Amino acid sequence: MSSIRFHREGLALEVRGLRVSLGETEVLRGIDLHVPKGRIVAVIGPNGSGKTTLLRCLLGLQKPAAGEIRIFGQPIGPAILGRVGYVPQRLALDRSFLLSVREFLALRLRETRHWIWWRRATLDQHLRGLLPGHDLGSLLDRPVAGLSGGQLQRVLVAFSLIGSPELLLLDEPTAGVDAPGEQSFYELIAAVHRERQLSVVLVSHDLSMVYRHACRVYALNGVICCEGTPEEVMNADSLRQAYGMHFTPYHHDHGPGHHHHPGGGG
Amino acid sequence: MDSMLSEPSMQRALLIAVLLAPLCGVLGVFVTARRMSFFSETVAHGSLAGVAIGLALGIDTAWPILGVSLAVALLVLWLRENTDLLTDTIMALLMSGFMAAGVVGFSKLRGFRGELHRYLFGDILSVGWPDVILAGVVSGFVLAFLVARLSQMALMTLSEDLAHVSGTSVRRLNLVFVVLLTLTVALSIRLLGIILVTSLLVIPPATARNVASTLRQELLLSLLCGLLSGIGGVVASYQFDLPCGPSIVLTSVGLFLVSLVARALRRPARRSSHP
Repeated sequence: MSSIRFHREGLALEVRGLRVSLGETEVLRGIDLHVPKGRIVAVIGPNGSGKTTLLRCLLGLQKPAAGEIRIFGQPIGPAILGRVGYVPQRLALDRSFLLSVREFLALRLRETRHWIWWRRATLDQHLRGLLPGHDLGSLLDRPVAGLSGGQLQRVLVAFSLIGSPELLLLDEPTAGVDAPGEQSFYELIAAVHRERQLSVVLVSHDLSMVYRHACRVYALNGVICCEGTPEEVMNADSLRQAYGMHFTPYHHDHGPGHHHHPGGGG
Repeated sequence: MDSMLSEPSMQRALLIAVLLAPLCGVLGVFVTARRMSFFSETVAHGSLAGVAIGLALGIDTAWPILGVSLAVALLVLWLRENTDLLTDTIMALLMSGFMAAGVVGFSKLRGFRGELHRYLFGDILSVGWPDVILAGVVSGFVLAFLVARLSQMALMTLSEDLAHVSGTSVRRLNLVFVVLLTLTVALSIRLLGIILVTSLLVIPPATARNVASTLRQELLLSLLCGLLSGIGGVVASYQFDLPCGPSIVLTSVGLFLVSLVARALRRPARRSSHP
């Protein structure tokens, strides 16, 4: 019992028995997932595997039919979401909405919510203090809707880091970004993770990039098909379980990390 | 000019234009970015039923217009949450249903046929002091809301999910926005008329976008365009004996054309400064 308590205290995110139905379809069928504090964990799966639904549950945007989600030991609510940063897959941006990057970053915090009355230099100075090491100087005047995929992702990461979150949730963060952009994006995430000791959940359909940075990978397709270190999940059997036609839960018979041993792998 | 300002009906019309037109400009920035202009069309057209109710009961039409507009707006929200119908379908259904009820009501009323035109296209003479007082109260609420919730509105417009994660109750904020927008539209009907009221939510933001490069500039310019269109339209309506709504709309279209020219003049300058 004490070891379980120890594990729970060391968890940034804990999901137990999560079930979600959308209409007639049961999209998630009993998900168990653990993210140890200060680690990068990846959730991979093909399109339609329930990744977005899982993420929406973690953000409190989707009500589960059953199961429990705890972030830093607490149920999801406004208070705990204040400790979470979220980088969405993409924004359905209307180019006619002229919100600039500077204005966008100011929307995140209560203290800058009256940015419209602030002088530009004062706001810039404030933002620099909130985002040390993020050189967004050249982008601040640009409209958010006019940014390239890679630039937008950098800005969204900066936005999510304002307020010093302890858990970062990234939804397909490099969708629509070219290969070099993808690499530099993951290097940015790795650097942020090192500097801030954040816990990170990376949701992606692509294992090739996440495996370099994640300490642990969950392969999802309605259920957790397999979990383990990136090397374990990279083996062909595991990937076939996640991306193929067999949806039954699959436990690795090697490696230290299994469903009920959070933090064991990596 | 002096004789115009000394007339009580003009004083009321100018006051209500100064109170509501700039608000329409600012609210319009969010209405257009959130693709809600058809929603305000629905509310405005549906309010014709309120006009018929007011005339039938022999009471000031301001109240039934407000009541019916709010009912239409809340019905849109309720049907959207509780049925599988597309929002577009819901709005078309309510707009045509309530408007048809209004026209049927008018057809049964004796002696009010001429009134229909005034409500469809706006009339300075139809503005009463209760309208001005209501406009003052509503614009106070809308201003307070915008000052307090501007950041949350901007974030919700960009992404409802990001707004939620940043601690905004998206559902509640959306409801408050819809109610304040509905009240503003319903009160603006006196000046602009049912047919044209949405134009003041659409044209000033479009004008602002032609020359602005940040949200702050867009909001301020849209406010200014709304104000100029409102005052200019009311004055033109009086001076040239024109229907009030079309005068305001043509003034705002004029400003839009000026902004198009300004945009065309600025473009080459931008190109040469950023090769």
